[in-house]
Amino acid sequence: MVVFGSIFRIAGAALWANKLRSGLTFVGIVFGVTSVMTIITALEGATGAIEKQLDTLGPSTFMVAKLMSAFSEEEFLEKIKRKPVSIRDAEIVEEDCHLCEKVSPRAHGGARVKYGDKYIRNVDITAGTANIVDIVDFEVAQGRFHSTEDDLYKRRVVLIGDDLREEFFEGVNPLGKVIKIGPEKYTVIGVAERRGEMFGESQDGFAIIPLSAFIRQFGEPRRRGINMLIKARSVELLPEAMDEVRVIMRTIRKVPYDEPDDFDMETADSILEMLNNFTRMFRLVMVGISTISLVIGGIVVMNIMMVSVTERTREIGIRKSIGAKQKHILLQFLFESVMLTLSGGVVGIILGFLIAQALAGQIDMDIEPSMLAISAGLTVSTGIGLIFGIYPAMKAARMDPIKALSYE
Amino acid sequence: MPMIETDNLWRTYTMGQEKVHALRSVSMTIEKGEYVAIMGPSGSGKSTMMNLIGCLDTPTQGEYWLNDQRVRQLNDNQLANIRNREIGFVFQTFNLLPRATALHNVELPLIYNGTPKAEREDMAKAALAKVDLADRMLHRPSELSGGQRQRVAIARALVNNPSILLADEPTGNLDSKTSKEIMRFFDDLHHQGNTIITVTHEPDIARHAHRVLSILDGRIASDERVPESERNGIH
Repeated sequence: MVVFGSIFRIAGAALWANKLRSGLTFVGIVFGVTSVMTIITALEGATGAIEKQLDTLGPSTFMVAKLMSAFSEEEFLEKIKRKPVSIRDAEIVEEDCHLCEKVSPRAHGGARVKYGDKYIRNVDITAGTANIVDIVDFEVAQGRFHSTEDDLYKRRVVLIGDDLREEFFEGVNPLGKVIKIGPEKYTVIGVAERRGEMFGESQDGFAIIPLSAFIRQFGEPRRRGINMLIKARSVELLPEAMDEVRVIMRTIRKVPYDEPDDFDMETADSILEMLNNFTRMFRLVMVGISTISLVIGGIVVMNIMMVSVTERTREIGIRKSIGAKQKHILLQFLFESVMLTLSGGVVGIILGFLIAQALAGQIDMDIEPSMLAISAGLTVSTGIGLIFGIYPAMKAARMDPIKALSYE
Repeated sequence: MPMIETDNLWRTYTMGQEKVHALRSVSMTIEKGEYVAIMGPSGSGKSTMMNLIGCLDTPTQGEYWLNDQRVRQLNDNQLANIRNREIGFVFQTFNLLPRATALHNVELPLIYNGTPKAEREDMAKAALAKVDLADRMLHRPSELSGGQRQRVAIARALVNNPSILLADEPTGNLDSKTSKEIMRFFDDLHHQGNTIITVTHEPDIARHAHRVLSILDGRIASDERVPESERNGIH
């Protein structure tokens, strides 16, 4: 052990003696690791943000709609021809599904929202029944969500996102104020907690109104259809509840037994999985590109180590003549290359995280140091030092001491 | 039991199709405490002889016993161990690590046999004191004179208390005054009981030894004791 400690110091001293050369190699590795780290950390952060968003759905909830995902144009064109999911479908499911705790139909639309002489174009209008708050994890900052009565009497009441409050009611109490959604007047009854941005897009430019009021104004969405948020009685019963809903939906929509479903059904998990599948290729390409930069870094290390070994042939001869074994020489040069790459790796990890954080800050996304990224960075940089350092080190270790000593 | 015994030692190099015999059937013994000079013109095989004795090389044929160990059977690690513990090399070109201090250079053999740091430093300092360099310990080779450098190399060779001090043209790169100084060290070391083998082509240097082995064309041409009256040096 004493020997290894000393050899470690010898290796460090050799790197220090060649500051410029070591420094340049170090910078090469730093660049490689930084790019890999930035990409891994940013991708992890993005996935985390999506996960957090989907988390509001809860683990026992699933969605039913005409079209939720399509991976090809053919699939999309096929699905777009499907019969829309109707409010009637939702009513039957609610009545017949014993394993479902709540069934909440939702509709979406876009409209211009106006207050006084200020307006916002294309606000996302979400329509739902009062029980949607029992399914979606939703925070009301001020006022309230609409009630079952509001639903029943098709009242024109609205809960607005924070962007709308900021635009129309800065410094004013928005409750009781009347805004116009399209041509119709709605009374503000609540304001949602601010959700912030995701991928550079505001998550607060929405308005939520009772489904009945939506249909009264816009009619039942005939093409897109509605979608259903369904909460199973428990997480354990989720698969069975999904089966039950599937059977009911197929019966209502008269799907022949040998035909596939004419609707999509997804849980938060399956949406996430879909998303991951979708981004996998992209991630592979990014990681592939940055791996190339790491391999280039590795080749630089190997090149430098080859030069170093040749330059120090005589030193190797001297060490061998006074009793250094092959393993001592091997370790000395391996320590050198690993020290270079590992220190480059550590700096690269830190830089990569800082850059990823700065990037994420641009789109208001929060990222944390990812254990995966850190351990991957450390492993990869050590691995590069070992892989690209082993050949020069072996060359040094196997030198004939007589030839090495007479090397000029 | 002789310290060194060779029996019918051959060292053959293959150069392309041709075989070059650097040593041909060398048999000799050297006892503990002897001071032997190996002499011969360049190309005579004396360097090959020195490399074999120093365990930097292994014979093609024949046997070499060093302290009763059959060198031909040893693997690379065992040879390294012998070089570390049994042999102290002194080279014509000093062969010090240029960037290391005198102290670190002398410590080096101890590093490779795992001597703990404190002990290592004490031993290295003692060895440097023996060659009168106690006040130059933290100097690098470039800050030392030729004679001082060779003394550092001698300290390095001695630090492990080796069985043999093996010197290859130890004064080849030194002026005559410094040469005398270095040879006086060897005389002293021999007097203290060390076994010394020097390889040289200078009769002047060889006359410090008590026995001269002359090598010519890879064979021992003569093996003579140097009469006390003809010896150089003070002993």
